[in-house]
Formats: sequence, structure tokens, C-alpha cells
Amino acid sequence: MNTVKKPVSVQKVILRVLLYFVVLDVCIITLYPYFAMLCTALKGRGEIFSANGTILPVTALWSNFIDIWSRAPMAQYMVNSILVAGGSTLIAMLCGIPAAYALARMRFKGQTAFLGFVIVSQMFAPVVLLIGIYKVMMSMGLTDSIWGLIFINAAFNQAFTIWLLRGTFIGISAEMEQAATIDGCNRLQSMMRVLLPVAAPGIVTTLIFIFINAWNEYTVALCLISTDTLKPLTVGINVFNGYNMIEWQYLFAASIFAIIPVVILFMGIEKNLVSGLASGGVKG
Amino acid sequence: MNKTAAVAPGKQKAPVNKNAPVQKKAPPSRSRTLRKIEPYLWIAPSLILMAVFILVPILSVFQMSMSDVSKAGKIKGFNGIDNFAKVIKSPAFGLVLKNTLVWTIAVVVLSTVLGFLLALILNNQFKGRKVARAIVVFPWATTLVIQASAWNFIINKDYGTLNTLLLKLGIISAPVNWTPTPEAYFAWEIACGIFVTIPFVTFCVLSGLQSIDTTYYEAATVDGANYWQKLFKITLPLVKSSLTVSTVLNIIYVFNSFPIIWTMTKGDPANHTDTLVTYLYKLAFYNGKQGEAAAVSVIGFIILLICASAYMIYTLRKGDDQ
Repeated sequence: MNTVKKPVSVQKVILRVLLYFVVLDVCIITLYPYFAMLCTALKGRGEIFSANGTILPVTALWSNFIDIWSRAPMAQYMVNSILVAGGSTLIAMLCGIPAAYALARMRFKGQTAFLGFVIVSQMFAPVVLLIGIYKVMMSMGLTDSIWGLIFINAAFNQAFTIWLLRGTFIGISAEMEQAATIDGCNRLQSMMRVLLPVAAPGIVTTLIFIFINAWNEYTVALCLISTDTLKPLTVGINVFNGYNMIEWQYLFAASIFAIIPVVILFMGIEKNLVSGLASGGVKG
Repeated sequence: MNKTAAVAPGKQKAPVNKNAPVQKKAPPSRSRTLRKIEPYLWIAPSLILMAVFILVPILSVFQMSMSDVSKAGKIKGFNGIDNFAKVIKSPAFGLVLKNTLVWTIAVVVLSTVLGFLLALILNNQFKGRKVARAIVVFPWATTLVIQASAWNFIINKDYGTLNTLLLKLGIISAPVNWTPTPEAYFAWEIACGIFVTIPFVTFCVLSGLQSIDTTYYEAATVDGANYWQKLFKITLPLVKSSLTVSTVLNIIYVFNSFPIIWTMTKGDPANHTDTLVTYLYKLAFYNGKQGEAAAVSVIGFIILLICASAYMIYTLRKGDDQ
């Protein structure tokens, strides 16, 4: 090992440099759209459309970030997004936790069929079912309502919820719960008091993941919501993206408000989410 | 571990019905049936949620695909395969189907290859690795509409920042029209699709890579294996399952992806950048042809079903191994 050190180290240095070079490039390319958005959000209308444009804004117009709140019901869009994402996360978890628990800890007839249905439901993206969804929503009077979006998002995130949580629960030994049962706890108590605290990291990951999915959902909201004040951010910000004139500076300023919360949340769960995805998937 | 299994050998085969067995007489068997139906109570909320908001729409779409549907969405009667015939005969359909396949294959294949390579790079130990991983995750967390808007702006020939950037760097001397043809626009949409899909692949592969026991590599090094041998003989086989999961999920997501194309071109001009999902959206909500839109949905299902069953077979086989 010690004898061949010299030639290897030269090669190693080159590889290192190459590694940093590639990583740096990847980061720059990845961040470029965000950089472009930020620069444009700070420019005036004239500056964006000028023939000899600059990369950075000549004079940073921070007022764009304030103007959007009066030019469109941004605050309302924000509230709607929070309601849709929060509501669907809550419902998805309330339905998903017991189902994942049953799949992880009990044996029953139709278990495989249920799991199969969960997996197959992944195949039907809301957009393909829009016509059907629209009909169901019409019959329930939920076409132009936040509740409709909450239920749809909760339902279409069930597969992920169950998948991730089942993987988490299977990974936790059932011994403690059995001990709790012997001490007189029923199943519900032993799940709430013993399993859920241990599974907390997995649950938080799942929770945030559903929240982000619902926050970023666009297609169903575009189709179902027609009242402007009921639109979530993803659909609402397109008021700046008119047919005749696109107000890029406002569109991107608003977009940045829509991006920041989820990016921060996502970075928090990135590590757990991936291991959860893999274990849930591979153990499937 | 599973008490329900222990009580299972009751002779009467209780129907898999939620309320019926509870009424059955004597107390001892009552607690037994209660335990038997218990799992169904646990999955009931989830099952009801998915039945109402996924299963009913699925059935509704299938019904509409074989019905004469009015513009208002009223079903006027069964018409067999008329909708399918109309869809397949329409001149745009061949183009749309081709676009869908090109879109799906290009995005999935290229993002899988690039995402895999990126995962190999990020799996090395280096300074700033955490920061790099956090940055790479950005496009995954950003909603597709915003990503698509940003790219639409960047590539604009009159005021887009790509031209500005390249002009400033002296790489080009005059603004380039990046989207001279619909095909070029479609290629940019594919590029945007790849851009947002890479992080998912990367992180699936990374999780697979991190679970590999390092002793394999040490043993291989002792045996004199070079980098490529280790890559193909150890790494690839061991991350295969992660790759399969990410690929199959990506096929489904990309096939059904709507926001990128809708934001950038709305499928225009004349269906040149339409995929099945944007095409069916227009059929249903712009042209009032809900029956035909439903038929397009069903055709989409069938194509995806082939992929999904491959996935099911894979996971079931995986289950047998354990």
C-alpha cells in the first residue's frame, strides 16, 4: 500500500479537481433558473424588454416584491395554498397512518389486493382522470372549492403515504408494542404511545412530502377552480402571465414567494425521504 | 406479531364485509369476529378516500369512453368503440402519440443516465458535499409551472437571459432564436423535463449506493479490480433495485406530466408539441369532446398498464426472494 503512493496521488489530485469542476458546474446549472428569476424579479418592465439587456438588474427594484401583493390577491393565494396543502396533509395522514399500520402489523384477507390497488393507483395521475374527477366533484358540489382540492390531493397522496409509512413501521420491531399490549394497552393505544413516537422521523418526512406535493399541485386546481380568490399560488400567479402581456418581473417575484417555503422544507427532509422511498419501494 | 393470523382458522368463512359479521350471535365468537374485521376498520378511511376520489373517477372515465357524451358532460347512451375510432382516426392522434413516446423515452432515459452519473459523483467524499446535495434537490422541490415559466423566459429569443448571458460571454455575437421550429420548442420542453427529473433519480440511486457494504469494494481492491470492474460488477447490480423503482415511477410521472408542456406551448402549434395528457385536456375542456377525451385517457391507461404490470411482476418476484 505504501509503496505506490506517489503516482496515485498525482492522479488523485487530477480526479479531485475534476470532481470539484463537475460538481460546481452542476450546481451552477441547477441554480441558474433561480438566479435568472431573481434578477428578472428585480428589474423594471423596460429593462426586461430592452434590446441590450444585462444579466444583473441595473437598478434593483425591490418594490416589485411589494407591488405583487396589491396587484393580485397574492395573500389570498398564499392562504389558499396553505389551506390546501395543510388540509390534504392532515387528511392523508389520518387515513394513511392506520392503513399503513394495518399493512405492517396485521395479516388479513385482501391485504395483497389492497396493497396492489395502492400501487396501481399511482398509475392514474389526476390529469388523466380529470374528466372523471370533475364529474365526481360536480355531483358533490365541490368543483369550485378548496375542499375539493384538499380531498383530491389527500387521495392521490395516499399511495405515497402508505408506502413510506408501511416501510417505516416494518422497519421498527413490534416487540415494544407487544409489551405494551401485555400491560393492558389496546392496539390503538399501543400504536399512539409506542409506535408513533419511535416512527416520528418517518412520519415527519411523509408529512412534509405530502405538504410539498399538495403545495406544488397545479393541474387539478387549474381545472376545478374558477373563482380567482379560491386559487392556490401555482394557478394564481399566472395572472401575471396574460395572453397579451407577460409581467415577467411580477410573475417571478410571486414565484419566489411560492418556491422558498417548499425548498426549505424539502432540504430538511431530503435525506430521510430518499431512504424512506427506497426502503418502502424495495421492501414492497 | 400477528394475532389476527392466529385467530384466523375459524370455520365459518366470514364475508369480507365491514358490518355484516358483527351481528353474529354469541359473545365468544363476537370478539373473534371483531378481531377478524379489525384490520378492515383500520384501512377503511384510506380505502373510502381512495374509492371515492380515485376509483369512482376511473370507472367514470371508462364509462364515458364508451358513451355518447354531451358538451355539458351528460351521458346520452352507450356507443361502443365510436369514441376510440374517432380518436384514432383523427389526423392529430398519430403525432400526439409519437410526441408522447418521444417525450417519455427521452426524458426518462436521459434523466436516468444523468441522474445515475450525478449520484456516483455525489457519493464521493468531498468538501461541500452537503451543500451540493441540497442544491441538487432544488428542481425537485420547485413546482413544475414555475420551472417551466423560468425556462420559457430564459430561452426567449428577444429578451431571454440565455442570449444575454452568451452575448456577454462573447460566445455568440447576435441573439439566437432557440425555438425556430415546433420541434426545437419540444426539445426544450424535453430538456426542462430532464432537468426536473434528474434529482429524483439521483436521490434514489444515492440511497441505494449508501446502503452498499464497503467491504465489497475493499475485497475487490485486494483482488486487484479496477474502477470500471467495481462499477459494473458491484455497484450496478446492487443499485439495480433503486434504479428500477425510480425508472418505473418516472415512466408514470413523465408520461402523465402536464404542467411543463402546458406552460411552455400549450401543445401548440397545431398539436406539434402535444402529448396525450395535454391533448385530452384540450379535447375535454376546450372542445367539449368529453367522450373522446375519455377514450384518450383509456388509451393512456393501457399503455401505462403494460409498464405497471412489469413493475408489479418485478416487486412480487422481489417479495418471493425474501
